[in-house]
Amino acid sequence: MPKIDRRDFLKLVGVSAGAAATGCADPTEQLIPYVIQPEELTPGIALTYASSCQECGAGCGLHVKTREGRPIKLDGNPQHPVNKGTLCSRGQVALGWTYHPDRWDGPLANGESIAWDDAISTLAGWLSSAGKGEIALLGGDPGQTAGEQLDRFAAAVGAERVVYDPFAEEALISAVKNVFGVEAQVRFDLSQTDLVVSLGSDFLEAGTHQLELSRQLTEARDIDANKTSARFVYFGSRLSLTAGNADEWVPANPGSEGVLALALARAAWDAGARPAANADQMEALLQGVDFTKAASISGVDRGEIKRVGKALAKSQAGVAMPPSSGLRSRRAVSTASAVLLLNYLIGAVGQRVRILEAPAAHPNRREGYKALSKLTAAIAEGKTKVLLVNDANPVYAYPGVAAALEKAKAAGKAPKLVSFVSLEDETSVMADLVLPNHTPLESWGDRVPRPGVRSLQQPTFRPLKDTRPTVDVLWSAATLAGAEGAPSGDFAATLKAAWADAGSFHELLQAGGVFAESGASLEVGLSSDLKIDAEAPLVEGEGEFTLLPIPSPLLGDGSGANLPWLQEIADPVTKLTWKSYVEISKNTARSLEVSHGDIVNVTTSAGSVGVPVYVRGGIMDNVIALATGQGHSVGYYAADLENGTVRGVNVNDLLPAEATDEDGGRAWLTVKASLASTGEAKPAGFIIKSDNKRGRDLGEVIELSSFIRAAKGHGGQDDHGGAHHAVKEFDATFDSDEKSPYRWGMTIDLDKCTGCSACIAACYTENNIPVVGELETVRGRNMDWIRLERWIGEGDTNSPNVVTDRKVENRWGNEEVGNNDVRNSPMTCQHCGAAPCEQVCPVIGTYHNGEGLNVMVYNRCVGTRYCGNNCSYKVRKFNFWDFSHLNWPGDLALMLNPDVTVRGRGVMEKCSFCVQRIHTARQPAMDEKRDILSHEVQTACQQTCPTSAITFGNLKETGSDVAKKSSDKNRSYYALMELNTRPAITYLKKVKRGEVKG
Amino acid sequence: MADTNEPAPRPTESQLNRDILSVMEGASPGYFLLLACAALTFAVGAAAFLYQVRYGMGVAGYSHPVYWGVYIVTFVFWVGIGHAGTLISAILYLFRAKWRNAINRAAEGMTIFAVMTAGLFPLVHLGRVFKFYWLLPYPNQRALWVNFKSPLLWDVFAVNTYMLISIIFFYIGLVPDFAIARDRSTGIRKLAYTVLSLGWQGTGRQWKSHNRAVLHLSGLATPLVLSVHSVVSWDFAMSLVPGWHATIFAPYFVAGAILSGFAMVCTLMIPIRRIYKLEHIITDYHFENMTRFLLLTSTIVVYAYAIEYFVAWYSGVEAEQTSFWERAFGSYWVSTWIMIICNGVVPQLFWFKKLRTSVPVIFVIAFIINIGMWFERYVIIATGLSREFDPAVWGQYTPSYVELAIMCGSFGFFSTLFILLIKAVPIVAIAEMKELAIHERLHGGAH
Repeated sequence: MPKIDRRDFLKLVGVSAGAAATGCADPTEQLIPYVIQPEELTPGIALTYASSCQECGAGCGLHVKTREGRPIKLDGNPQHPVNKGTLCSRGQVALGWTYHPDRWDGPLANGESIAWDDAISTLAGWLSSAGKGEIALLGGDPGQTAGEQLDRFAAAVGAERVVYDPFAEEALISAVKNVFGVEAQVRFDLSQTDLVVSLGSDFLEAGTHQLELSRQLTEARDIDANKTSARFVYFGSRLSLTAGNADEWVPANPGSEGVLALALARAAWDAGARPAANADQMEALLQGVDFTKAASISGVDRGEIKRVGKALAKSQAGVAMPPSSGLRSRRAVSTASAVLLLNYLIGAVGQRVRILEAPAAHPNRREGYKALSKLTAAIAEGKTKVLLVNDANPVYAYPGVAAALEKAKAAGKAPKLVSFVSLEDETSVMADLVLPNHTPLESWGDRVPRPGVRSLQQPTFRPLKDTRPTVDVLWSAATLAGAEGAPSGDFAATLKAAWADAGSFHELLQAGGVFAESGASLEVGLSSDLKIDAEAPLVEGEGEFTLLPIPSPLLGDGSGANLPWLQEIADPVTKLTWKSYVEISKNTARSLEVSHGDIVNVTTSAGSVGVPVYVRGGIMDNVIALATGQGHSVGYYAADLENGTVRGVNVNDLLPAEATDEDGGRAWLTVKASLASTGEAKPAGFIIKSDNKRGRDLGEVIELSSFIRAAKGHGGQDDHGGAHHAVKEFDATFDSDEKSPYRWGMTIDLDKCTGCSACIAACYTENNIPVVGELETVRGRNMDWIRLERWIGEGDTNSPNVVTDRKVENRWGNEEVGNNDVRNSPMTCQHCGAAPCEQVCPVIGTYHNGEGLNVMVYNRCVGTRYCGNNCSYKVRKFNFWDFSHLNWPGDLALMLNPDVTVRGRGVMEKCSFCVQRIHTARQPAMDEKRDILSHEVQTACQQTCPTSAITFGNLKETGSDVAKKSSDKNRSYYALMELNTRPAITYLKKVKRGEVKG
Repeated sequence: MADTNEPAPRPTESQLNRDILSVMEGASPGYFLLLACAALTFAVGAAAFLYQVRYGMGVAGYSHPVYWGVYIVTFVFWVGIGHAGTLISAILYLFRAKWRNAINRAAEGMTIFAVMTAGLFPLVHLGRVFKFYWLLPYPNQRALWVNFKSPLLWDVFAVNTYMLISIIFFYIGLVPDFAIARDRSTGIRKLAYTVLSLGWQGTGRQWKSHNRAVLHLSGLATPLVLSVHSVVSWDFAMSLVPGWHATIFAPYFVAGAILSGFAMVCTLMIPIRRIYKLEHIITDYHFENMTRFLLLTSTIVVYAYAIEYFVAWYSGVEAEQTSFWERAFGSYWVSTWIMIICNGVVPQLFWFKKLRTSVPVIFVIAFIINIGMWFERYVIIATGLSREFDPAVWGQYTPSYVELAIMCGSFGFFSTLFILLIKAVPIVAIAEMKELAIHERLHGGAH
């Protein structure tokens, strides 16, 4: 036996231990602490940067929360006048772009990676070889300074720049020119209004200003602050989110809004309304208005028109809202003009309807569609040699571009296509050259949403990928190609120079911009050239239904479709996910013998698509509606990669590329459609399975008269025939440790909740909630911690009304045309004082902590799911799969909130009242030896709620908002109160205001 | 019991020894074929379980809000099956129902295996099965403890206590029989039976101690028969779920358990009797007595069904009413009516003596009851959870193939053990049969 001495032995031990360590475990990775820690950075403490949201033109201010250098959450900037600290669903999840698995790693030529220098010289070669007018720069609005630079670049290389937004307010801007004779933009201000008449305007869910308008409308309608709260009438063909928030829904044919507006104006005139000036001209314009004709075109009873017209005349601060983009017919400018005229008559112009200076740096704001049509014609003819695309996906979203490119390709005259977008999309995958831009969180930029409001955007993150700012790339290529006029520095320097007049750049970055709007409207009068062609809309083609394209509240024009959260969060109205559905009325479904999920062929003059139906009562029989945004063939989430197919349908496939009158942009409401059943079906991914609350204590309302009576002290709760509350009131402050100064609680004001779903999006990003995908959503395994229920009326107990079961007519829901008793009611963990879940857990995985929170110990849970069964509110979600590993492809895991555990497979989870935020607030309070104050903690849902419907805080803190609101004698109730679970969430009843009086 | 047919003439003691022990000797190819089928079924279920452990509970058909399904259904089903054994051995022993002697051994074996099978399911259904031991209260370094308020924990105790007592009871009864087997076997078997018989000599003192032990254990086991399924029923009754939250659940579940247990005894004993030609030992008289139990418990179960609906209506609680309406006429109506017909209607045929004494009829009806009792638990669990307080999250449950495979696997597990048991122990309690025979010889006539 060979001798082994001590040294050999130790060597052997070392080698085998090393082999064991490396062989049987995951490869060792090094954790390198900061050698020199950045001064401003403390691990564990979030740093917040002010920036600006780039998801739409609204220019909302952001506070980007970063942890250890990574942005992990977007919150609104409370100082910003547009959003005042709130964000919409889209803004909440825009964080995902930066970490998205579809991001381009660097520049590509024909799908192959190349170096930036080569890419730029290739582009330069193309630019120099193309003649004047053979280069086009097509895309969305990249912001103020970037836009100016693009214009200058276009001028330097002889390119034509086309800016197009499918939902831009071209018709309204043209209408301002028509009615008032000025080039200007319009801003509505609802904060002081007392009567809103929406003429097909879905301003709470669609369009650029939904956040601001939601907030203002809620302010004007705040029943506690303002007993004469504003009234709201909706004219339209479909029970949209906005219609569901109105006091009354008057069903009106789509496209008849202009006729209606004129009739309303005439009725108001008859009731004594007179404009501040131009009364004679007004009288002449209203002379010929024929109520009978208006009633027959719109389908609205003339008595109703007169009643609402009279109410407008009597109102102190009425306002009429022009139709949303989906309702833009070939007569859109006339329609918008009629609405402006009505506003002028009732004195809203200058007050609620502000005419503001037109923004600069937008080459074709009124003729975007016209310029696009010219460009597509040029592409099709092969005249365009180089097509540069920035901030847009024209092949998918712009009408005519895909067809034009195909035509040019067939003729061998395809332009060189260069895309500057950061992520894969339909355009960039077919581009000859992809020169990816930074994502918004990595970029400099600015936006000017309206005069006096300038939002600054700063990078909050070093770029994750090998990307460059588009403006810099374009100028480099242009300079190489011999063009003059490049700015001296890079884009960051250019931006800084552009802001030099506004003060210290450092302070500007801290504030997020300059917010000094005067708000003053331009003085305008009626133009002498004013002409209004108020007739029925020109809806053409075969078929018995008018096809109503709806701008999707979550996906927008389709640019949001690749953000998984926007696919998984239910549409706020239909509560459907992940697919396109054509909305048809119950009568239509009966005649076609179809039900939820049955696939029908929708055929128009422009094309035909197969799409599942969603049967609802809240749509007129002669209308079918199809939302925009789906139909992507490219995108990790946008396309249906599981089945290798397109996800949903693109409504553009059904619409001819038509313009409105008078440069009013693209017309959406143009075609008739016919339906034919295919006999096939697909199960539908519903999040909310029923709108029938069966009279249970969920989504309660109080009649305005009862409320006023109660508020005056004549009796308590109203008695509207619903369930009586036999259970004794309880004191929620008893439901925490006696010695604890806290009992965390919440109030949710259903009178303020519009159902927009921004809270859900905020919850997803704050709490690392996994997105489960279409298949699992259909199975009912979505993980959302907030469920936005949508009840129609009190419901009835005779019908089952569950939409999971197809083919059963009474499961089509309780909606009816003309009935808009919609009660949006967010449901989340109630943190019950007597929680049914806590007592059944065998391992104390969930328990009540001293501060009254129902806490969930993920590590302790063994997954019996008993708590989920026993929870009366059904808010506990189970991790059926290993979402913590499956769910964050690409760099998405980098956006996880390090304060929140990512849950493993087989455990339950639920709303924690953002306990991590309570803990964040605890340390400073402890340092100062005091208790946490209620206003120091905001849950993610509360923070983003555009209408401040959610209040969170300490119920034991006398005088806190939440304590005051939860003790509201007139409107408070508890969900499913008869179960006596002692919830920490107090709901405040929605106020049913009823019809406006003429 | 005046109208029962008289028991057949007793076989002699040597006949008993020979006939019963012959069952244990040798094995036909048919036996091995059956054993292989059972083992294979179990293997499929085990593979399905491993698949589930690897990928997660997502492979089962559960979804929000139906978090319990086939696994808990099958758990309750097997616990119920496990009722007959101890009832027969303990309660009927105390009541001196002598006819039990022919069937108690098989019934006790069935009980133990059924409870063992049942015991698998709370584990199968755990989201994190590898942490199952957290359900057991024992001092540990993790400083974790269990929640004694949770009915699931009561379950852990109830089922384990029941299993423990059943095993002891089974073993004590086996000791004299092991001694007989010891005396008649050779080789390794002899060694095994020698050890198992614990030196049994059949002395008067040993018999006295043995009988006293059986008596005391019967006294101990009797409340357990009632408690174990009562506790299982509290998993449901103690919750808030409409359709679960009912005070009748404990007696309702016990009656159902006895119904299913006796049905399973019939289902097992009829083929065994036929294959091993034990008709002279396990006689039609025994089966007729069991049918009377089936009839009684089926009637109790029907009453419970009726009372559930009555209380739902009488309470005026809309959620309860809706839950029961949906149960009978909603999307689960097929299961509900299978349950009512199999457990409530079909056993009522035993009012007819002709049917009660026809062994093929008993076999078919017992089998139908087995099916019905599985569906009873399915209906309670699935419909209850599908139609709760918040209609926005009403759901629909459809079992997945993995769940069904594991459920079938449990039948394979049970069958494998039972088939092995036939060869391992005397399937009829020889000593007790002899005691009965001697007793009758001395006093004459049946009791």
